[in-house]
Formats: sequence, C-alpha cells, structure tokens
Amino acid sequence: MSFEVDVAKRLSEAEIAVSFASDAGVTALFGPSGSGKSSVLNMIAGLLAPDRGKIVVGGETLFGGGVNLPPEARHAGYVFQDARLFPHLKVRANLLYGADRTDAVMPLDEVVALLGLGPLLGRWPRTLSGGEAQRVAIGRALLSNPHFLLLDEPLASLDRARAEEIMAMIERVRDALKLPILYVSHNRAEVDRLAGQVVAIHR
Amino acid sequence: MTLSPDDWEVIRLSLKVAIVGVVLTLPVAFGLAYVLARGRFPGRILLDAIVHLPLVLPPVVTGWILLILFGRTGPIGGWLDRIFGVTLMFRWTGAALAAAVMALPLMVRAIRLSIEAVDRRLEGAARSLGASPWRAFRTITLPLSLPGVWAGLVLGFARSLGEFGATISFVSNIPGQTRTLPIAIYTALQLPDGESAVVRLALVSVALSLGALVASEWLVRRQGGRAHVL
Amino acid sequence: MPVRRLVFLLLALLAAPAFAAPPLVLAAASLQESLNAAADIWAARHHARPILSFASSSLLAKQIDAGAPADIFISADEPWMDDVARHGLVKLGTRVSFIGNRLVLVAPASSARPIAIKPGFPLARLLGDGKLAMGEVNSVPAGKYGKEALTRLGLWDAIASHVVGADNVRSALALVERGEAPYGIVYATDALASKGVKIVGVFPETSHAPITYPVALLTAATSPDAEGFRRFLISAAGKAVFRRYGFQPK
Repeated sequence: MSFEVDVAKRLSEAEIAVSFASDAGVTALFGPSGSGKSSVLNMIAGLLAPDRGKIVVGGETLFGGGVNLPPEARHAGYVFQDARLFPHLKVRANLLYGADRTDAVMPLDEVVALLGLGPLLGRWPRTLSGGEAQRVAIGRALLSNPHFLLLDEPLASLDRARAEEIMAMIERVRDALKLPILYVSHNRAEVDRLAGQVVAIHR
Repeated sequence: MTLSPDDWEVIRLSLKVAIVGVVLTLPVAFGLAYVLARGRFPGRILLDAIVHLPLVLPPVVTGWILLILFGRTGPIGGWLDRIFGVTLMFRWTGAALAAAVMALPLMVRAIRLSIEAVDRRLEGAARSLGASPWRAFRTITLPLSLPGVWAGLVLGFARSLGEFGATISFVSNIPGQTRTLPIAIYTALQLPDGESAVVRLALVSVALSLGALVASEWLVRRQGGRAHVL
Repeated sequence: MPVRRLVFLLLALLAAPAFAAPPLVLAAASLQESLNAAADIWAARHHARPILSFASSSLLAKQIDAGAPADIFISADEPWMDDVARHGLVKLGTRVSFIGNRLVLVAPASSARPIAIKPGFPLARLLGDGKLAMGEVNSVPAGKYGKEALTRLGLWDAIASHVVGADNVRSALALVERGEAPYGIVYATDALASKGVKIVGVFPETSHAPITYPVALLTAATSPDAEGFRRFLISAAGKAVFRRYGFQPK
C-alpha cells in the first residue's frame, strides 16, 4: 500500500473527513477548490494534526494508534502550491536545504539536470517566474530524500507550455524514483494523465 | 568649537552605557518578542503590559522602582552585591540598567513586528524538509526577522543615549560614572556660566541622534525595506 | 433658555480665577514644609493660597533668568539671588534675607552615632567605600556650603571622590534615608523634617559662609497679592512659622 489515509478534522466551519487506500504510483486527490485537499496534504505531512484517524505511507505509520511523528521525521517531499521558497536563500541553498540527511537518493547534479535548473542556481527566489519557482520547489523536495511526494496543484499558476514540461518531469520522476506520489488537483485532464488512482473529494 | 576632555569623557560614558545596555537587553527583548508573537498562554496580555510599562510610566517612577529593587539596600541589589560583588548604585552599570529598561519596550515592539511578519508557512516548509523546530527557527525565522532586530537595536541605542529621568533618579549624577550626555547638559544648565557647555553637548546629542536615525534607515533599506520601525 | 444659562455659568466660572490670581512663588527645596505652612496661614487670612514650586535655587534662578513668569523668589544662598538681580529681574527695595539655617552631617536613623565635626575629623574613614550625599557642589547651595565647609576643615581632597552630587538637598536627604549613602550633608531643617535620618554632627558656623535665605519680589510679578505675601513672610508672624521648623529668624 502506498497510501492508507483515514482522517477527520474539524476546521472552523467545515469538517473534513477523508478515507482512502491506494497502491498506485501516482494517486490523485481530485475535487473543487476549497474542499480541503490542501488540509489533507498538511495532515499527511504532519503540519496539521487530525482530530482522529490513521495515516500510513509506504508501510510506515505516521499517525494513529498513539503515534504522531513530527514533520521532520516523516520524510515527506512536499511541493506547495505557491512553491514556498525561502526568500533569504538563493536557489542553490534552497535546493540543498533538506539535503544534509545522510542517505541521499539523488545527487544535486542529477536533479538539476532532470529539472533544467542549471541557469537558476545563483538567482534569488523573488527573481524567478512562477514556472521556474515551481521547478525549484520540486527539486528541493526531491533532494530532501523523501520517502514519498506530496504535490499540491503544482501546475496551477503555469501556462500551457510550462505545465506540459512539468507534467513530463513528474512522469519521469514517477518512473525513475518509484516513490509514492500523492497529487492534488482540480483539473481533470492532469489527473487523468498522471494518476493511477483517483480519489474524489467533495465538500 | 572644540570639545573639552570633560566633554569626551561624557560622550565615551554615554556610548559605553548605551551600547552595554542595548547589547545585554537584546536577548531578553528577542525572547519576550518571540513569546509575545507566537505564544498563546494565559497572562500574555499582562506580560505585554508589563513590558510596555517603562514606555508609559513617568521615567522618574521607573527610576524609583529600580532604586527600590536594585539599590544597595534593595532585594535584588543587595543580592547582586553579596553573591557577585556587582554594584549598580552610583555606577555606570546602574546607568546601563536604567537605559536597558527604558529601551526594552521599543526593542520588543520592533522585533515582535518583524517576527510576526515571518510567514509561518515557510517554517512549515522547512519542517517538511527535515528541519527540527530549533533548526527551522535558526535558519528561517531568525534570519527573516533580522530587519526588526536591527531596527530595535538602533532605536534602543538612540533611546538609551537620551535616557535621563530614570537614570538620574536611580543612580544620581556622578561625573565619569552616571553623568551621561543628557544629564551633563542638565548639570551645565544649572551652572553659573554653563551656556557654552550646554551648546556644545546639545550639538553632540543632536549629531548622535541623527546618526542613529540615518543608520536605522540605511539598515532597513538594505534588508529590503518593508520593515517598519514602530 | 437653559443653554444660555449654561453658557453664562461657564463664562462666570472661567472668569472667577482672574479676580484673585494667587502669587507664584519659586522657593528653595529646603523650604518645602515651612513655606507650605506659611502659605496655609496666609490663605486662612482670606487670601488666595500662593502657588509654591520647590527646586534647587540654581535651577530656579536659571528659569527666572530665562523668563519664567513668577512673582516671588526665595533662594537658599545670596549668590543665586545676586545672579537674578544682575539680570535686572529683582524689584528694587524688596530683597530681604529673612531666615537662616545650619549645615549638618546626617546618617540613617538606624545607624547614627554622634561625631564631633572639627578640622581633620576622620570622615574618609567613616565613609569607607560608601558615598557622601550632598547637593551638587558647584550649583546647589547646600552642596556649595558643604564643599566650602569640608575645604575649610581640610577634608575636601580626601573625600571628593566619595561625593554624590544630588539635584537638590532633598534628593541628597532621600539617599541617606534609603541607606544608599551612609552619610549626607544637608540643612538642620531637612534633618528635622525627616524621620529617616539623624543629625550626627553640626558644622561650625566658621566653616562656611552664613546660610541665609533672601526673598524678593520679581519684576515679572503680576499678582496683586504678591507684595502682601512677601511682607507676611518677613513679618514677625511669618518668621515664627519658619522658626517652628528649625530656621533662625534674622
């Protein structure tokens, strides 16, 4: 099982309850904006605590049965919808932020080549375009030796050409690294192309 | 217009008192700013109010409270004297304490604003990349809140340079020890022929204050310009 | 019309003080209790009670020189009144030195032991590493008298580094009351007014210039009551009030 998720959380007005199990390479969480998809990712990453439930990823229990691993122990490669690059660090330092864990899966050069980040390494995040920032965010997540990837609408702010490029990259990553990937989107076309299994979320 | 050796002694003393006062206050101010910015505990509002007391109390009252607590016969002052041999009364160390107490609220405000402006989601991103809470603080929160720290330091320094009421009611007016710039001007005002000294020292005071304000502006711009001082 | 009546009442209230503007008296800090008592008696005689402001004579003189709109000035020494007179701010013929004082050495009430004050008495040894609280020795009258006395007694050089020069004689007194300074030099009247200190010695009158308090009307005076209050102060009845507090009528 890549993902076994069964969580519930009460957030100001709404209650989020999600339950799914998946063994696919890419699992998609599909639903309209505001249906709580990002909150589910935050719970899996350990940035938000569910009220109750269980989270098991790649066979490892992250939450449930008395266990609640802190984010830094979950080895999630989380690519945020807004990239969330550290503004006071250059691209190179952003990429390497999570990389000082001893068991590196992909060396820097490979990730840079895979994502075409060479020309960006010496730049400041605020000088990057949306697409460039998104690529750096993916690279940063990959370089932190993740056991799984969480992608939150990674193509949302991109134009068609860029979105195509990134989708192709995600496919390459999916095929090359064999990591469980949870992909959140409200775009049916993306989901159909990338996902092995689709989990629909309603309001 | 040249400065006399006495004038230089006053300036050196003022700088020493202000720098020591502000440097020692910085960790306390940062800690308080962090707790007030991020903490959710009962009594937070009370703590906030206490931190701001020196800003709103008449300085003479603050000086009097310091005198009661830190004087030779006071509970904390007596303890410091017995255990560490540290005397604050009538000494520049007491003047530095008075300056520190008066500068604290300004520093806490500036630093707190800066900490509050740090996007907590960046800290979340750092945690997801494997950073412990301490590492996330050290590499993300702290560097991003530096503009407020600089602003606080300069503000606190300028406030300390101008500190008068609390200093004179706590540690009196001792040349070479507690006669800082504003107190020296006040003393000169009361001397029969003090006018020329008053003018000299007042000009020095204006120059130092302007210098501090210009430095503060420059630091803020260098850091990216969005940080406000108050 | 109720509004019209209210406006009339308001105007009447605002105008009332103008009918009996009390005199503003700037007085040396050591006169706090005694001058207040004198002002009370004056007010009991159906006059507007004078407004009293106490500080070191040095500070007051500087304020008057700078144009402070006061009616009467009472200084703790002659030089500061001379200073005001040199600026042409004293009304001629109104300056009278009406009371005197003595200079004393005090200690906190809990530790006070009598000492004979004579040339060469062991003040430095008594102070140890403690401070001697005095008025600022270059400006405050009590400080100037004190320095003069200690110099005449041959002690100034030995203890100069121990001196804490306070803003005014009352601040010096407060330091001794609190025990922050083991000894202080203040006026006999200050010691009498305070329960926290005791007189341990009296400075011989030969060791310093006579301590006299000149009172004068200022040229800036506007209150019609000012001259009357000044006359009361220098009268036998006025001086009797000060004698009760330990001053010597002149």
